Amino acid sequence: MENKLKVSPGFIILTSILVVYGLITVIIGFATGDTIRTWANLLLNNYYFMSVAIGAAFWLAIQYITQSGWSAQFIRIPQAMSDYLIVSFVLWIIMFFGLHHLYEWTHLDVVANDPILTHKKPYLNVPFLAVRYIVFFGLWIYLTQRIKRLSLLEDKHGGLTYFKKMEFNSKVFIFVFAITFSLFSIDWLMSLDPHWYSTIYAAKKFIMAFYHGATIITAIVVILYFLGYFPDMNKSHFLDFSRYIFALSIIWGYMWLSQYLLIWYANIPEETIYYVPRIMTEYKPYFYAELLINWLFPFLFLMWNRIAKNPYALLFAVVVLMCGQWVELYMSIMPNTTSLHKITYIEFGTFMGFLGLFAGVVAWSLTRMNLIPKNHPYMIESVKHHV
Amino acid sequence: MKSTSIIGIYKDEDVFLNAIDELLANNIRIYDVFSPFPLHGVFEKLKLKTKIPYATFIYGVLGTITVFIFLYWTSVVNYPLKFGGKPLNTLSFIIIMFVLTIFVGTLFTFLTYFTLEKMFPGKKVKLPEPRTTSDRFAILIEKDPEMDKKELEKINDILEKTGAIEIKESEVDY
Repeated sequence: MENKLKVSPGFIILTSILVVYGLITVIIGFATGDTIRTWANLLLNNYYFMSVAIGAAFWLAIQYITQSGWSAQFIRIPQAMSDYLIVSFVLWIIMFFGLHHLYEWTHLDVVANDPILTHKKPYLNVPFLAVRYIVFFGLWIYLTQRIKRLSLLEDKHGGLTYFKKMEFNSKVFIFVFAITFSLFSIDWLMSLDPHWYSTIYAAKKFIMAFYHGATIITAIVVILYFLGYFPDMNKSHFLDFSRYIFALSIIWGYMWLSQYLLIWYANIPEETIYYVPRIMTEYKPYFYAELLINWLFPFLFLMWNRIAKNPYALLFAVVVLMCGQWVELYMSIMPNTTSLHKITYIEFGTFMGFLGLFAGVVAWSLTRMNLIPKNHPYMIESVKHHV
Repeated sequence: MKSTSIIGIYKDEDVFLNAIDELLANNIRIYDVFSPFPLHGVFEKLKLKTKIPYATFIYGVLGTITVFIFLYWTSVVNYPLKFGGKPLNTLSFIIIMFVLTIFVGTLFTFLTYFTLEKMFPGKKVKLPEPRTTSDRFAILIEKDPEMDKKELEKINDILEKTGAIEIKESEVDY
């Protein structure tokens, strides 16, 4: 098998159709007067794929820091996924035009009459938001691209120097990521309800990004395996991927419970208000779906060793978990913006558009480098990996 | 069970694993292996089967249910006590259920394992090679009375060839 990914024309056509379909959906959404809903969906999908890309970069950083041998074959996939951050950076500019529709704190007259919002004004204002947006994305893109460039240089020259540099960069990245991504989640998701706050909110979104980043990496690896691109892949690799998903599903469930149970226990009105629309209105089924899909399903499904090693079962789990992440973000965004509990063509179309774009960017990025790195120091360990 | 066995002793983990492969390739039945720490792959190589994970799962499920029934009975049926306006059958059960599920699962798995292996505190250890608790790996091959001299030589040959530092025959009460 050739060491470079070849993209079939059918795939290019499919992704183009999806992108165009998404674009048309957004235009129809604005034209038919569903302005807030369209903006909310744009935010949802922008955040969805941005978090998947940055989560994949975090996954990659963890591999370097722990000096994992088993994953040496697959490091190109998170590297390609982190390229989406550049696209996301551009797409996010659009969100600034929709700020007024989504965020209460951008209405200066409301802020002036509200002591809490006035108090938060030094942080929650549009110019500072723009500064943070540029700084955060700048740091992410700089660090992920640096790791990618070093990895490509390693392919060319070999040796341990690049590996050590990448390891150091990864260490810098995880600290930068932890702080900036938490603040980013607060800026764009938690501030949809500016009166409410939860100190674990950002941590939960952080785990969500890592969780679903690992999930999408698994999906891409399994698909490429079916296409014959990973000849040295064996059952142990599949088991390790499903272990990642399994472990992260438990951590995610822990975070979910930590947020919910503490608010439930304390029962302070200004905190419980967050859960009122989510449990007491028509959002109730989504609320339970979020927990059951993201925690209980992978917990019970991937517990069985035989299923955890099966690529088809793994692909099925990934597809379900993609819906799970969507539901989670839906529950974070919609009750505070549209208050509509519908899933219709706008939700479907925008997601498909972004999915097409993401798939296209990742595939394009993968074609431009060796799919399996050449001089990775742990390559042999990865090929002979056996649990 | 008392029998005479051939014991091959190895010093290195990888050499030991290769020796198992070599013996199995020559259709020699390995009675048991001993190592100071769990080795990956030995379990699959010897085609051993265990049902203990299933038992653990069942214990876990039973633990969850039992603990829930207990909590429900104490705080809803037997001694209902309202505080803080919370419902009697509450979410706060989850933490105790979670912790006791792990506890019940672990404890009963241990008990099952001890029962299956006939272990109890104060049991006298019957090891064919005591050094396997420190830094040696041992392969135990049962010496069948029906084995002829050629076959025994073959076993010895393979053990020697694969790098056994010591080969001995002994009465094993095992």
